[in-house]
Amino acid sequence: MVSAPVSATRVPIWRNVRVLQWIFQLLVLLFAVLVLAWLWGNYQTNSERLNIPTDLGYLDNPAAFEITGNSMSQNAPVRTALYEGFLNTLRISVAGIIAATLLGTIVGIARLSQNWLVSKIATVYVEAVRNVPLAIFVVAGLSAIVFGVLPNIQEAWDLGFLVASNRGIAVPWFEGGTGGGLLLLGLAAAAVAWGVARWRRSVSERTGEPPRSGLFAGGAFVVAMIVGWFALGYSATLPNVDGRRTAGGIRVDPSFFALFFALVVYTASHIAEIVRGSIQSVPKGQGEAASALALSGFQRMINVILPQAFRVAIPPLGNQYLNLIKNSSLGAAIGYYDLTLVTQTTVGNGSPAIPAFALTMVIYIGISLFTSVFVNIANRRLALVER
Amino acid sequence: MRTLLLRAVLLFFIGVFAISCTSDGDGESAVTDDTDDSADDATDDGSDDATDDSSDDSSDDDSTDDSGDTTADDSAEPTDDGGDDGDDEGDDDVTEVQSGDSKLAAVQSAGVVRCGTRDALPAFAVLTEDGDHVGFDADFCRVIAAAVLGDAEAVEFVDLETADRFTALQSDEVDVLVRNTTWTAGRDGGEGATFLQPNFYDGQGMMVASDSEFGAIEDLDDGAIICVAQGTTTEGNAASEAARLGLDWEIRGFEDVPLLQEAFVAGQCDGWSSDSSQLAGIRSDFPDGPDALTIFEGVFSKEPLAPAVADGDTEWAQVVNWAVSAPIIAEELGIDSSNVDSFADTDDVNIQRFLGLEIEGDEETAVLDPGLGLPTDFGAQVVSQVGNYAEIFDEHLGSIGLERGVNALWNEGGIMYAPPYR
Amino acid sequence: MTVPVTGKSGSGAGAVTWLRRNLFRSPLDSVITIISAVIAAWVVYKTVNFIFVTGRWEIIRRNEKLLMLGRFPEVHVLRWSITAVTLAGWGGLIAGILRARQIASGSIVPDAPFSARRLGDLAARFWIPAVVVLLTLGLASSSGPWITAVLAVVAAIAGRLIGPFIGRVKLGRGANATLYTFLAVLPVALYFYVVDAVGFDDWGGFTLNLFLAVVSIILCFPLGVMLALGRRSKLPLVQLVSTAYVELVRGAPLFVLLLLANVALQFFIPASLAPSKATRSIVVFTLFTAAYMAEIVRGGLQSVPTGQSEAAKALGLSPARQTGLVVLPQALRNVIPAQIGQLISLFKDTSLAGIAMGLFDVLNVASAIPAQGDFRGQGLIGETLAFTALLFWAVSYTMSRESQRLEKRLGVGTR
Repeated sequence: MVSAPVSATRVPIWRNVRVLQWIFQLLVLLFAVLVLAWLWGNYQTNSERLNIPTDLGYLDNPAAFEITGNSMSQNAPVRTALYEGFLNTLRISVAGIIAATLLGTIVGIARLSQNWLVSKIATVYVEAVRNVPLAIFVVAGLSAIVFGVLPNIQEAWDLGFLVASNRGIAVPWFEGGTGGGLLLLGLAAAAVAWGVARWRRSVSERTGEPPRSGLFAGGAFVVAMIVGWFALGYSATLPNVDGRRTAGGIRVDPSFFALFFALVVYTASHIAEIVRGSIQSVPKGQGEAASALALSGFQRMINVILPQAFRVAIPPLGNQYLNLIKNSSLGAAIGYYDLTLVTQTTVGNGSPAIPAFALTMVIYIGISLFTSVFVNIANRRLALVER
Repeated sequence: MRTLLLRAVLLFFIGVFAISCTSDGDGESAVTDDTDDSADDATDDGSDDATDDSSDDSSDDDSTDDSGDTTADDSAEPTDDGGDDGDDEGDDDVTEVQSGDSKLAAVQSAGVVRCGTRDALPAFAVLTEDGDHVGFDADFCRVIAAAVLGDAEAVEFVDLETADRFTALQSDEVDVLVRNTTWTAGRDGGEGATFLQPNFYDGQGMMVASDSEFGAIEDLDDGAIICVAQGTTTEGNAASEAARLGLDWEIRGFEDVPLLQEAFVAGQCDGWSSDSSQLAGIRSDFPDGPDALTIFEGVFSKEPLAPAVADGDTEWAQVVNWAVSAPIIAEELGIDSSNVDSFADTDDVNIQRFLGLEIEGDEETAVLDPGLGLPTDFGAQVVSQVGNYAEIFDEHLGSIGLERGVNALWNEGGIMYAPPYR
Repeated sequence: MTVPVTGKSGSGAGAVTWLRRNLFRSPLDSVITIISAVIAAWVVYKTVNFIFVTGRWEIIRRNEKLLMLGRFPEVHVLRWSITAVTLAGWGGLIAGILRARQIASGSIVPDAPFSARRLGDLAARFWIPAVVVLLTLGLASSSGPWITAVLAVVAAIAGRLIGPFIGRVKLGRGANATLYTFLAVLPVALYFYVVDAVGFDDWGGFTLNLFLAVVSIILCFPLGVMLALGRRSKLPLVQLVSTAYVELVRGAPLFVLLLLANVALQFFIPASLAPSKATRSIVVFTLFTAAYMAEIVRGGLQSVPTGQSEAAKALGLSPARQTGLVVLPQALRNVIPAQIGQLISLFKDTSLAGIAMGLFDVLNVASAIPAQGDFRGQGLIGETLAFTALLFWAVSYTMSRESQRLEKRLGVGTR
């Protein structure tokens, strides 16, 4: 077949693909800009009509409310309240992630157990909890558990190291110790831990047993902190009932407890499914080889299967962690002063709604992006190099 | 591919259009659209172009609009708002309807007053199982409807949470907010609300369980937990009061009253602080009986409860203001629902004016029409269909044991004082 | 570890073997079994006690209409019943047509429509929602729901029987299009029929949750597909906008978005268009789910081998036709389970609409009715929440089971 000679004339504009693509993009951009301009115009007009400010000046207004369990004064500016709310969100997120991972891993492994009863219980738990909305758990956590189960302060359950009532759960806590001293103590304990890690590594080279330097260093850090704490004269206190409050220790807010309970139970059921799926994705040969090497069931799980399963599980686990952080915003429904409730309250007290919520969204998006970057790094470090 | 995208986009927009068109009840928005366009096109088209460039972003227009509760000149209204809304899009149809359209006309054409209230505050506004709203505030909604539309039942009650009562007003979801809301400067300014004649002068009080060890407010100390409703003035007031009395309180906020009551019954709260009238209402309806609760004497803040309308429509604000004043004027004049019909032959000019009766002048007889936009017999309608202030008060608040106290008429030892209707 | 071998296969021996193997494998295992059995027995006892002995279900009985329909005016409930019956018939009709078409195209062996095996199969698939429906009917305080349910079943069976007659007929393109249009328009017409009497804003209860979920998933689909295609586009602006949208929306909690919509949407939209609360919630759900759907569809697009689009290119199809006719159908088919998962997730998230925006959905009703005059102070929140959880659970569990079944049938493998 004779090929046609390449034409020397240029393609006309209306058939030039590149030109068309750019025109299309510019049209899309124009459309988007017009829509945004219309929305923004409406916003400005309506704000002027109602005499509502559209900048962030409200951050300096006094907050006019107190945060439960916090010593912030009601005259503190709104930005302080927002900061405290942000810290509260972080607190429940970190606590929730740790507890949910633990519970979820246990339940996920239990689902694969040879023991029929244990696996059935785990299955019932996962299937029952996974399909119920989190909002129901949150409301139930407060109404059914905090108000329904936990007793009055006069009849609080006093277990010595724990005091539980519907005004909160008091646990032992450290007394004294300021920022500066704490920092020095931390540095000293870290130095001790580093020394222990080096020692373990040299032992490992000598004897060939696994160094476990992380474990030893971690343990040494904790021990050094505790010893140093008491050596420096600080102390810990146990809680006990004192009239209408608890003296000593630290009191966990009942709303925190209700939200914590709901988040952990709900997220753990999802994590259990992920763990189960990741364990099942490890080739059977691995487990069989471990058995052939006479490793016990427990050793097989910890040393062979879980590390490989973990690699597969990281992306979906990261997703669940993000979900937990975002779900912590439901604390607003039960009075836990997380970032969302603080924003809602300031808006109810006269702060302009859109700047306040926009700021809150930016903070949440920031937390999400930060966490997903973190998870991506972990994923990349642990990923198998594909050949 | 292009066709798929096109179909998808069309489907999407059709879906959105369909949903939004059917969602405003029975085509209510369509009705208001038509009237607004026809009413305002005439006045605003001319002034729009003229005032557009100059008054678009000037703030002086705004300040005259918003501060002019009782003093703004009505003639300035349409042109000012037309100028405000002439934003850069030049989209006349859209901006016409935004603000500056007369809310009074909109309400009259809709035939119903949308009243923002609540559903679970005993004595003030309770949604019964039959679907009726009963209470002091609910009756004032009916007062406004009777005055503006001549029919006390032409009310659409919109139950609002505390958190979005003001946004509902700002977004025109309700025409008026009668929800035992305290009139404060912060709300006047920051919430885009205009407060009107207070219908109840209240103060903040404290309530405890009768069988607790607290005998007076000073006994609540050492970290006593005081429960309040979130987002209300009571939160800030409670903290201020604690500081003033030198007591150590822990203030817990709750989203709404039922949740607070749950916490209180469970024993999580030592004290419950709120407006005294609210406390009285809750106490009257308490499951264990009113005697299970004790309200301490004395109040520690000023809480004038007043209806509110959105900023920017002085005509509507004035209409509602006079409507709400009507029961008070009626009581001042000695008119109540049982004798309102007996004043047809009265010689008292004040009563004649109020009831919209003919007044004999030198040359002719005339009925007073001050040009507010209300029907001339609105006073008679209010009193005959709902009642005067004493009747409304006694039916809902007197029945739970509240005395008139500071809410009595100005010439009977209280401070209820309405401007003269003339 | 030896497994006890028994030579006999008599009764009892098998049970003991099973016990030994599954529950008492080793001493530690036995201890775990005993502890778990004690805990499980305690939980079961408490639950059964709650359901049958101490639970006061009167509150559900009295308020069932509120829970299912919200504050829908009594006089118009008839329209809902008619809609339910018609929808049941419509569903049966579609099932019948589909089955006839499948038989005609040879993908399924024909079988008598109501054979014992098929009925048994249906029962195994849908016994949970059936039990929950019966329970709900049992708690109803009037006979209306019963009549509706019976009529709905009759209509479904009738539709199922009539369907094959239509499905067997080979229809031309025009007639086919008309049939599809009719089937698609019927639910929309029913919607307008109900809305004509009672505006969409006055709906409530469980039906509101269902409606919000269905409408949002339908509306978010086109947007999600567009965003996924936009992310893969080579045009930098389009890709930037799509990626930015998806990442930003996925980073924000749905609850905060709903709160924002509650207070903020009216600032951006003129009062004439001011959408009601329910509409605002649909907008938020749609925009939110579209971002997640975009990610799912993007995953699906990546799962289609590049050979497919290369082959399409070799056949001379334009890029638009390549994507639309070859790649996209395969991609969507591959991620059907994930899409159903997203639908389930969206359905559960509709419960947030009540908390965030004050819509009268089933969770909001369940929280509010314990404060009613007759039931106040008795702590009945446990009963109402349990009932609500049961409703959500039944629907979600059935949907996820159906999704797993579909996954198996489509042969979509896991990693």
